[in-house]
Amino acid sequence: MKKTAAAIRQTQPEAPRKKSAAAQNGKVHPVVIYPFRQPSDYSDLEQLYQLVARLDAEKDRYSRPITVMDRKTHYAMEGNKHFVDFRKDTVARHSDILDAWCVDTCQMWYSGLGMAFEKGGPEDVYWLIPGDFNYGTAVGKEVLGRLHDLPEIILELKQDLCIGEIATDQNNSKQLIDTYGTFALLYTWFPAEAQEIRQYTERPRSEFFAIRHSFLREVLRQRWYAYEQTVVMLLQAVFSNKHISRFFVGNISDLPEGRESLASAMQQVERTERVLKTLWRERNQPKTGWTEQYRSLEIQSEQVRRTALSILQNLLG
Amino acid sequence: MSISSYGPKKTLRAINFICNAPQAQSVNLVGDFNKWNPAAHPLKKMLDGAWLLSVELHHGHHRYAFLVDGALTLDPRAQGITRNDKGERVSLVPVS
Repeated sequence: MKKTAAAIRQTQPEAPRKKSAAAQNGKVHPVVIYPFRQPSDYSDLEQLYQLVARLDAEKDRYSRPITVMDRKTHYAMEGNKHFVDFRKDTVARHSDILDAWCVDTCQMWYSGLGMAFEKGGPEDVYWLIPGDFNYGTAVGKEVLGRLHDLPEIILELKQDLCIGEIATDQNNSKQLIDTYGTFALLYTWFPAEAQEIRQYTERPRSEFFAIRHSFLREVLRQRWYAYEQTVVMLLQAVFSNKHISRFFVGNISDLPEGRESLASAMQQVERTERVLKTLWRERNQPKTGWTEQYRSLEIQSEQVRRTALSILQNLLG
Repeated sequence: MSISSYGPKKTLRAINFICNAPQAQSVNLVGDFNKWNPAAHPLKKMLDGAWLLSVELHHGHHRYAFLVDGALTLDPRAQGITRNDKGERVSLVPVS
């Protein structure tokens, strides 16, 4: 994998195991989101749970990892011996499984982060790890070796939110959705905040992030929108002048089972628009004359959404 | 693969900082590690026009930026972005 930082490490030594002062102040709570659709090849998950096993072994630094598993995944696979054995011998061995009925991935995040939060303290950090990526590949392994930077940046640099950014090619559906959908809609509904967010990241819907206890408490207690929680968290962070960092975690792609079709991409753009509209209304309803501004923005937003869907249809259809 | 980048603060690693600014008259490195002192770490101009400096840094994550002819400049190839205590956007380097 090519080096992307100008600051190139001259050596790759074994990392010392002794804790720093930063580590002693707070614990890191890993929350793994188990893939909704079980991949037939377990090599990526096996690699991921090797990391989870190491986190579980470092009890002074990491709390017991949590794996959030949708009950629909469980019931779809309960007759599959490989799955049952993997769940019992690997997932349950190295993490506490939170079995939950979830309408979507965001509800899995909410349930998992909420459970971790209940066990956490004021100095702690929560680290979300999506399960549906190709961690078994060479670049995937390198990404797994970098993900720990996200919670450590929060602890060491006293940040509130650290977004992990992955590199994708320009025709990757996630990239296309963010370029033509997410940012276009963000600039429509929240132009100042969108500019601030873009200064940090090109991937405002990233599934890789770590968040400080106090900020997680804020976002958990606010209305939890059904979709696009990273976008909402970034907006909330900008609204309240939180400390945001972005860290490049590498070149990695999500598994084919969870990859976006055109229909899925269109749905994601539509969901992003719904979330942004709802959030805008909630923030602006107390102001007089908000309805006129809302109608005007809605017309612009519809144009943006239609254009985005047209472009996505040409590129992904 | 190691999951740990925490370590004794006395551990030092040599890090190469490279700034591609062939037209610049001076390039300096500022960061948490030199208290953002512009005079502490001047880079040396190489034959290809890039500026280079090797600095030994402690284990952990460090905020830094280049001063290109006095102007605070992000490292376009940095692994991360954050803000310094003045609220300016700066780059981020992990040292393990």
